[in-house]
Amino acid sequence: MSAAIPPAIAHWRAASARRVAIILAGIGLLAASFAIDLATGPAMLPIPAVLRSLAGQTTDPMTQAIVRTLRLPIALMAAVVGAALGVSGAVMQTILHNPLASSYTLGISAGAGFGAALVILFGAALPLPQAWAIPLAAFAFAGLACAMVASVGRLRQATPELLVLAGIACLFLFQALLSLLQFIASPEALQQIVFWLFGSLQRASLDQVGIVAAVLVAVAPVLLADGWRLTALKLGDERAQALGVRVGRLRLRAFVAVSLLTGAAVAFVGTIGFIGLVAPHVARLLVGEDQRHMLPASAVFGALLLSVASVASKLIIPGTIFPIGIVTALIGVPFFAWLVLSIGRGR
Amino acid sequence: MTHPLPPLGRRAALALGLAAPFVTSRAARAAMPPIIDALGRRISLPAPAERIVLCFNYEEFTAVAGPAGWDRVVGFSKTLWSAWRAAVYQRYLAPIPRLATLPDVGNTDDNSFSLEKVLSLRPDLVIMAEWSFSAIGPQVKQLEALGIPVMVIDYNAEIPARHVASTIAMGQVTGNEARAQTLAALYTDKLADIARRIKDAPSHPKAYIELGQGGAGVIGNTYWKGMWGRLLDFAGADNIAAGRIPGAYGPLNPEYVLAANPAAIFIAGSSWTGQPNAVLTGFDAPEATTRARLAPYPNRQGWPQLTAIRDGQLFAIEHGLCRALFDYTATYFIAKAIFPDRFADIDPVGELRSYHERFLPVTFEGTWMTRLTPLAA
Repeated sequence: MSAAIPPAIAHWRAASARRVAIILAGIGLLAASFAIDLATGPAMLPIPAVLRSLAGQTTDPMTQAIVRTLRLPIALMAAVVGAALGVSGAVMQTILHNPLASSYTLGISAGAGFGAALVILFGAALPLPQAWAIPLAAFAFAGLACAMVASVGRLRQATPELLVLAGIACLFLFQALLSLLQFIASPEALQQIVFWLFGSLQRASLDQVGIVAAVLVAVAPVLLADGWRLTALKLGDERAQALGVRVGRLRLRAFVAVSLLTGAAVAFVGTIGFIGLVAPHVARLLVGEDQRHMLPASAVFGALLLSVASVASKLIIPGTIFPIGIVTALIGVPFFAWLVLSIGRGR
Repeated sequence: MTHPLPPLGRRAALALGLAAPFVTSRAARAAMPPIIDALGRRISLPAPAERIVLCFNYEEFTAVAGPAGWDRVVGFSKTLWSAWRAAVYQRYLAPIPRLATLPDVGNTDDNSFSLEKVLSLRPDLVIMAEWSFSAIGPQVKQLEALGIPVMVIDYNAEIPARHVASTIAMGQVTGNEARAQTLAALYTDKLADIARRIKDAPSHPKAYIELGQGGAGVIGNTYWKGMWGRLLDFAGADNIAAGRIPGAYGPLNPEYVLAANPAAIFIAGSSWTGQPNAVLTGFDAPEATTRARLAPYPNRQGWPQLTAIRDGQLFAIEHGLCRALFDYTATYFIAKAIFPDRFADIDPVGELRSYHERFLPVTFEGTWMTRLTPLAA
């Protein structure tokens, strides 16, 4: 019977199987990196002790605390935030027809940074503890930035050019406001703001991991359901429209979804750059443009990149935690450059 | 009054082979008076701590507990001493060789503080300065959930009650209470002496203090409320920075300094490394070096017209003296600079020397407080 399958379909199936294999390989690497993340740290715990603690067989409360309340949330947060930023970057690049787009481009991260700085400076009056007030404000202002861009998109047509322009205006607005806060901040608060902007996984808790994961789980089906429409969008607005896609609505819907995702991710860890830019390019290179494969692949490679960065941040100077945002860029930039150069050669 | 450890902590202690101090101290437990830290928090310890992580105020700890007290320390925030006060740290290495190999737990100032490192050292007490304590936030709860109390000390705020509470508490947790009481009484007496001498002063001369880390070419931070700000208050000076900077410290507009026209100017120096223009003070600073680094200050824009400069009232003062148990010596120095008659019989440097001889394991030398131009005899 197999002879009856037209060659094109057979080819598509083979390609599809290859892409799934690549994604599975990525998941395997992620699992390895996650394990190394759990196994390393300044306490230099022996690996069997770590395993026993994870299995719940340790009676030593110190080991238990180190593995379960310190390392586990960090390792999980790296994977979940990396996945969230990878997906949001991929969708941004698709809906804006722009390979340089990420949550940074449209001012969402800048909004989050401003929100966080606001609470660091004036949050003492809030009834909430800072550990929650900062993420909440960061998320709220990421949402505000998103709403500003989206409302411009609704007032006029949501073309990529208009969204990018509105986003860049938003970016500069929030950057200026953030600079203003930094200018009036006391040295201690200024330091706290700078550390927040560097990004850090160190304060992650399992509750927070749960929140980011929940947003990811809620948003992912919406995006995957739009998978073929987003793929069609890559053909250009007119062709997508001819295929029955309501382009403007799709763009706004996807934009709001990924803003939620970005807001939730950066709210807890600070502005970790680069993942949202690089992960989708890695995914595209390995599995192609079809969003049904590219979105999961972006999530997997985003998670992998941040997980590797989390390990590296502990190992660069043992005993010191390098700011994760800096490490991510230091690992990501050469990798990205290599990627861009090798694509150029391939063509 | 008993202060039982939470069950988890006691189990942890047994598992760690640290049971001995807990088991044998049953009598001591009843004898251990309540420990109240600098923030008024109650610390429960059944016996003096055996495994302390110490995050700041190393000279105060040494004064209270002596070099032997360091045997109780299992980790510290190393760079706050070895980099911030390099010359001081080098001096203490000889009497306390343990410092060289003691694990570093990082610090909150550069965000390197590692809770995992702290836990891996299995401490039974963490001693933290208030500024670190407030920076680590919810991590305190994680420590306390494991039965590891966090004791806050605070010399930075320059609130005498906190100086005393911090000192007494460190004495209690290291089993050196009598010595701590002596130190606290000395501090209290000296402050009272200063207050008595300036009580009926007819006026409060204007004074300005600036951090000399970058040298005369850089406008350094000045202080208000905490640290030097409060020492200026204790000394009866009118701090020109009061109400003029948003926080407790920050640079003052240079134009405002000219307009305020202080009667005395103090430049805070230290043994900073990698700062070629810094005003150098401390153990390794010969007086000539300190004065040479101070010499460019009178040539700043507009400064030759200042009353302080014309009267030769420009001083260097070691920055480490603004948040320490022996900071009363700096207060004496400031007070004597602005009220020479009232403090004629006081030798501030002599006070600092005598404190070192009585309580610290290092020989006092170098230049800690001096005037740019020696007084004409």
